[in-house]
Amino acid sequence: MKPSVWLPPLLVTALFLVCWEIFGHLPMGRVKVVPPVSAIAMDIIHNHQLLLRAMLHTLTEAMVGFAAGAAFGFLMGVLFAEVRILERMFFPVFIISQTIPVVAFGALVVIWFGNGMLSKVVIAFYLTFFPVTVHTHRGLLSVEQQRIDLLRSFAASRWTLFWRLRLPFALPTIMTSLILGSSLSLVGAIVGEWFGDTKGLGIMLVQAMYVENMVRLWSIIVACGVIGVGLYAVLRFVQTRWIWWGNET
Amino acid sequence: MIARASYPLLGLLIIAAIWEGSIRFFDIPPFVLPPLGQIAERIWTGRSEMIAGLSATLYEAGTGYVIGVAIGLLLAIAVSLSSLAERSVMPLFIAINSVPIVAYVPVSFVAFGLGAASKIAMVALTVGFTVFLSAVQGLKSVDPSAVNLLRSFGAGQMRIIWMFSLPAAMPIIVSGLRVSIVRAMIVAIVAEMLGAYDGLGRIIYEATQQVDFLRTWAAIAVASLASLVIYGVFVWCDRRLVWWK
Repeated sequence: MKPSVWLPPLLVTALFLVCWEIFGHLPMGRVKVVPPVSAIAMDIIHNHQLLLRAMLHTLTEAMVGFAAGAAFGFLMGVLFAEVRILERMFFPVFIISQTIPVVAFGALVVIWFGNGMLSKVVIAFYLTFFPVTVHTHRGLLSVEQQRIDLLRSFAASRWTLFWRLRLPFALPTIMTSLILGSSLSLVGAIVGEWFGDTKGLGIMLVQAMYVENMVRLWSIIVACGVIGVGLYAVLRFVQTRWIWWGNET
Repeated sequence: MIARASYPLLGLLIIAAIWEGSIRFFDIPPFVLPPLGQIAERIWTGRSEMIAGLSATLYEAGTGYVIGVAIGLLLAIAVSLSSLAERSVMPLFIAINSVPIVAYVPVSFVAFGLGAASKIAMVALTVGFTVFLSAVQGLKSVDPSAVNLLRSFGAGQMRIIWMFSLPAAMPIIVSGLRVSIVRAMIVAIVAEMLGAYDGLGRIIYEATQQVDFLRTWAAIAVASLASLVIYGVFVWCDRRLVWWK
């Protein structure tokens, strides 16, 4: 890559970090909301084991919920796309239900499923399966009628039509929803931990907030970001490697 | 029209029937799934509390939304003025955005206290990013040959953006604005659940702690209905105002 490509963002990021560091050293109020970058980096290095364990815990919750939600959402999307009567009756309701602040159910879910991992998995599942269902449905139905007619004229069965035409056509759209769902599942796991847990990034956030440990708070935010970027990178890799015929980016 | 609406209504009725039926049939205790009638009744008996909570949440979500939209749009226009600026700041913005937004909530509490200001800041951050990213995408998608044509007639950069690029990008920007409505409500409520003096999220959290499930359900129902109504009004306005799609 040419320096003109990577140099500007690098410079801006470096400038941003330097400004942050200087800002962090300024004498400010009772609690330093923005501690110096160096202090945050030191905290991360000193407590990397603690952070890694919490990251693993939260990541596991998010991933189990994500996998279940993606699978269930895919099946629901196929069902809506293939069975017209279900689509006409329930899909509008389904779309409407997306405007409901689902995370508000977090507190209820913890009561139903207990304080353990299951309740976070359920929240992550719930947040993931909505977008996956909607995108799967949309992707499957976005195939042009001409192509369907062509395959039909060769006496393709419904199954062949689905497997050879609709599904490949829908995969890029589904992939987009998986990227969306992965970040939502992470949100679900973190919020789920707020309502009762002993380990994980979400509860660490709350504990650090109560003792106003701002350095730790930012360390955890960085850890959350690392997971977010990691999930995005993995899914993007899958997308560019195996589902390269994308019609969406 | 009637036939089109009747199917979703039928769907809603079936869901309600399954809801009520399974409570009777499986003998589900009210703390797991309360009957719909009881939730409606609880909203009515607690209406003064619900209205107070709703107005607090709406105030936070609304103020944050307006601030976020303004910042997001201005930043997007500024960034789209030069490709160097865009390439320089985008990686930084995307890195900030890759952190789940809820992780910033505690920082906002320490910085702005437990009152409305911290929720407004969180909503503004969420909405700002959503609008910014969709506006950048929208401004980038405009036809470059049309921009060149306008430029050849001597139109300045600001004028091109104001008269052509922004209207052309509107459909994409509007979809960002629409998604932001739901996100604003969610973020306001979630932030309230972690700490607040009032608001629907506060009611939901308090009621759960007091094991008052009917009150939890009532607050969730009010929050859902409110987002639904606002969303509906927005979609309706969108069809009227942005007709050039």
